[in-house]
Amino acid sequence: MATIAKPTLEVAAPRPAAAFVGSLPRALTIALTAFAVLAPLSLIVYQSLLSAPFFDAAKRVGLDAYAFIFADPDFWSAVRNSLLIAAGMTLIAVPLGAVLAFVMERTDFPGKRWIEPMLLVPSFVSPMVLSFGYIVAAGPVGFFSIWATDLFGGAPWGLYSIAAMAVIAGLTHVPNVYIYASSALKNLGSDVEEAARIAGASPFRVAVSVSLPLIMPALLFSAVLVFFLGLELFGLPLVLGDPEGHLVLSTYLYKLTNKLGTPSYHLMAAVAVCIVAMTVPLVLLQRRLLQNVRKYATIKGKAGRLRELPLGRWKWVAVVLIGAWLFVSVIVPMTGIALRAFVTNWGFGVKLAEAFTLDNFHSVFEEPTHVRAIWNTVLIGTVGGALTVACYTAIGFATHRRNDGWSRVVDYLVLVPRAVPGLLIGLAFLWVFLFFAPLAPLRQTIFSVWLAYTVVWLAYGMRLISSSLMQVSTELEEAARTVGASRGRISREITLPLIRHGLLGSWLLVFMIFEREYSTGVYLLAPGTEVIGAQLVSLWQGGAIDVVAALSLINVVLVFIGLALALRFGVKLRD
Amino acid sequence: MSELTVENLHLAYGDNPILKGVTMTLNRGEVVALLGPSGSGKTTLLRAVAGLELPHEGTIRIGDKVVFDRARRIDVPAEARNLGLVFQSYALWPHKTVFDNVAYGLKLRGIGGAEGKSRVKAALEQLSLGHLGQRFPHQLSGGQQQRVALARALVYNPPVILLDEPLSNLDAKLREEARAWLRELIVRMQLSALCVTHDQSEALAMSDRILLLNAGRIEQQGTPQQMYSAPETLFTADFMGSNNRLPGRITETRDGAALLEGDGWRLWGTAKAGATRGSEGVGMIRLERIRVTEGPGDNRLQAELTTSMYLGDKWEHLFALGKERLRAYGEGPLESGRHWLELPQRALWIF
Repeated sequence: MATIAKPTLEVAAPRPAAAFVGSLPRALTIALTAFAVLAPLSLIVYQSLLSAPFFDAAKRVGLDAYAFIFADPDFWSAVRNSLLIAAGMTLIAVPLGAVLAFVMERTDFPGKRWIEPMLLVPSFVSPMVLSFGYIVAAGPVGFFSIWATDLFGGAPWGLYSIAAMAVIAGLTHVPNVYIYASSALKNLGSDVEEAARIAGASPFRVAVSVSLPLIMPALLFSAVLVFFLGLELFGLPLVLGDPEGHLVLSTYLYKLTNKLGTPSYHLMAAVAVCIVAMTVPLVLLQRRLLQNVRKYATIKGKAGRLRELPLGRWKWVAVVLIGAWLFVSVIVPMTGIALRAFVTNWGFGVKLAEAFTLDNFHSVFEEPTHVRAIWNTVLIGTVGGALTVACYTAIGFATHRRNDGWSRVVDYLVLVPRAVPGLLIGLAFLWVFLFFAPLAPLRQTIFSVWLAYTVVWLAYGMRLISSSLMQVSTELEEAARTVGASRGRISREITLPLIRHGLLGSWLLVFMIFEREYSTGVYLLAPGTEVIGAQLVSLWQGGAIDVVAALSLINVVLVFIGLALALRFGVKLRD
Repeated sequence: MSELTVENLHLAYGDNPILKGVTMTLNRGEVVALLGPSGSGKTTLLRAVAGLELPHEGTIRIGDKVVFDRARRIDVPAEARNLGLVFQSYALWPHKTVFDNVAYGLKLRGIGGAEGKSRVKAALEQLSLGHLGQRFPHQLSGGQQQRVALARALVYNPPVILLDEPLSNLDAKLREEARAWLRELIVRMQLSALCVTHDQSEALAMSDRILLLNAGRIEQQGTPQQMYSAPETLFTADFMGSNNRLPGRITETRDGAALLEGDGWRLWGTAKAGATRGSEGVGMIRLERIRVTEGPGDNRLQAELTTSMYLGDKWEHLFALGKERLRAYGEGPLESGRHWLELPQRALWIF
């Protein structure tokens, strides 16, 4: 008779954990998330309705701040510039990104495997660094401008106009479109395209009349995304708009800081509210469009290997097109930074070999604040990144497999920071630390920057976490329930171990974006809270080109270490 | 004694009713098969018993303990129902070894150490998995995975074991072996099992009793023999076995028999519920009960052979009777042309 036959060994069912205890960590997680998201935002709105900074005794409630900025012609020109640049870059990035995706996904373009990570470089490098790279490479006395002058007697480009900013922003945002277009093409079952080929359509006809309409929702989504990112631009207009005095919304807000001599928090808050009023509808629109994208993705047929389309004579057109794009958006700015970091000065008549120096790095490492900035940046990416992933995971578990009202609340909470540019979140957190006295001691610590980063990237991070969680089959968790595991134990002993690879990948991606981040730290910059990104903004304002170049290069190297690790461990660089 | 009792269970997904009042029992040492077409609610019923779905009406008792009673607001969570469930996909935890997969249920019950170890070992031995303890699920074949899933569900001796399409993930050849093996195991260990399947031959072979579900209701229940040879409804007759369907008009009834007439033929059959004189009727007969004969006679009709298929152990012939098609088995090939077919009165059910 069997050893495990019933009558001999009866085992009682484990006692279920009390429902209240089971949900206490969840309640805590939701409450903390709500505070971290809503406190800074409500403070912005509150501040915008005052006539003076909130700590000023003479403040009154009213619309004075709005009246002031609406009467300021600079504000309206900033609005116009923002819209122009956003529209221009969308028009450039979307078609280019779509073509790039088609070439990479569907044709026999040579060397696709190693080109792919290169395509994503502009989206991983800090825009501040990229813009600086453009100035030193292609500005009036940039390397390429001087080489072009030597060769042709003049450089036929200018960097500082609104149009130039739109072009550069457009080219550097091609990866954002490429990512969505190429995954839409990947998800598109090859059978629908093959069916069209069989029915007699040429490859070009298939691309235009089958593939394009089917990835249209993805393109539309990425168009809205790029336009939205255009409204958020900060580093690029700060660096390139400055020489000719072009302001966009974010730089207008930044310049307001000192406009009245005294802290003009109420004016900044009013501008912030205006920016958020423009971005919130775009974020909601994106959410709607994303559901559309998913709807199309589910009609896919078999995801078979599609035979690559031979480009034939067109190969050279594609090579030139992609080569030119890579040259302008990756090679030019990157070379600029790499060269500028190693020369004493640069201008007409200066020879590279003679100007070579390591002094720029010496001056970085001699200055304690710079060393601290580097150290903090590494720390916030590694330790901070791990903590951030832990927080995101906790939030993910708070909504995982729970279809109640609270889960929907969290869904929206997570979405909210998406609509608020990093610069504003940093500013709002500065106010939070000033406003809530118990938090004040944290203000001067790197914790403040970490918290702001974590909130800014909440939506992005939650997408990473939930896509990991979605991959765990429901049945694995149900199996644990039926053998007697409580919810908490299932999370710890089944789900968490199953998503650990996804979490490691998320950590690497969070590391990269934290290294890249710059605008969120701008207002939180204080002795002790320096990070490279914010430090660059401040140094650029001070005109310390040599140090900016060296720090930029260090920043790029940090990002590339993350990128190399991610590629090494096969982390998917996009969702 | 009844190990599991379900009474008047109702369950809906949104506005879509899945279970519309199901009542059933499972006795100790009995294997009950939940059989039905896809969408009939059989898996939902199983999951409701396990506590993974929330019914909106009815009661569920395991032994004499009420685990669900809508009216009294009792809903014991799945983890406290102490049942064993074998998933269709097996749902083995890929990050745990075979040993740890099986040991988890004991660990949750505070049984670790030497005792836990020996019981896991025993369970693995029982299912001839003793040598595979340190493997991970992905290193096992489908049949081995299924046995691990079973060991995992049995190791803590649940009073009832629930099986969700336990054989459907195995390939056809393995399935028949596994069926025999599973039946033997269940009988040997005197398990009380509730087993979902959509395959009638699996249900016939494995269970002591079959519950046939149709659109959220129990259509008929009984022993496999009753279900196969004495169907009460057209649905049951049609779902079990391979059938011929012959529509016609009932022109006469007497002594439990009915006369079905069609275009150029008339056949006596066993009258079933709803077969009344003068109404439209449907004649049902299993393929294996039609005989190809030499000439005319009682309850015979003439039909044109359209084609024959060779099945290995027998032939299947396809006949045309006006618009209708009749299929019959035979031992050898037939010449083309018209043939006489006999449909014995006892084997022809008229609904």
